Amino acid sequence: MTLEFNETLIAFDLQAGDAKEVIDLLAGRMHAQGLVAADYGRQTWEREQHHPTGLPTKPFCIAFPHADAEGVHRSALGVAVMRQPVTFQNMADPDEDLDVSVVFMLANRDPEEQIQTLRNLATLFGQPEKLVELREQSTLLGVASWLRRELRLG
Amino acid sequence: MGKLIVVACGAGINTSTIAEDSIRERMAQEGFADVEVKRILMADIEGYLTRTDLVLIVSMMKIFRTFDVPVIQGMPFLIGSQEEKNVLLNKIVDVVNSK
Repeated sequence: MTLEFNETLIAFDLQAGDAKEVIDLLAGRMHAQGLVAADYGRQTWEREQHHPTGLPTKPFCIAFPHADAEGVHRSALGVAVMRQPVTFQNMADPDEDLDVSVVFMLANRDPEEQIQTLRNLATLFGQPEKLVELREQSTLLGVASWLRRELRLG
Repeated sequence: MGKLIVVACGAGINTSTIAEDSIRERMAQEGFADVEVKRILMADIEGYLTRTDLVLIVSMMKIFRTFDVPVIQGMPFLIGSQEEKNVLLNKIVDVVNSK
């Protein structure tokens, strides 16, 4: 099974009050396409409280929220590029707040099946110049085609 | 006896898979056929601590306790440069060699 990724799973220049709003929005769009269960956003937010997913990437921070595979009908990637950062806690240190500019929500039904996407994401997260390229995209379609190319999504 | 490395994260699905994949690849390159790399939920770690073949815990999260085996912080597998990943993998090879 391939990874579902399309323009409606991208939020561009998003203004949100907090991290929960971003998670709910992306999960809601996934649910509208039948990709995840109705409560996937709630599950992801709950998990975020115990096991935060903010990542101190350079030159700006990102987050990688997800819940377990149970609520996922079909694996999907949702991405939010924020107008202003929202706060997530650091995965490596829950006491540390991070200002997150891009949110990658990977609803994953089977990690083995999505191994290549996970590898491509980790490569992207480790390359500051690539993250800058992503944030400098000026349109939603630009974000979509950049991600398709860099993450080699079908 | 074989050697077990566990890779622990919160959901046991995305972040630990990335680290598990990198470590497995390196173990294969080193020809360590007797090393098992297994991703787990941090919540399930207790069940692995009694295993006598456990040589290393790689954690993607902060750990608030100590263990009898070495613990390595695995965040660079997720966000590090290739060089930082290699440093971490070298450390893991050293631990495996020392057991």
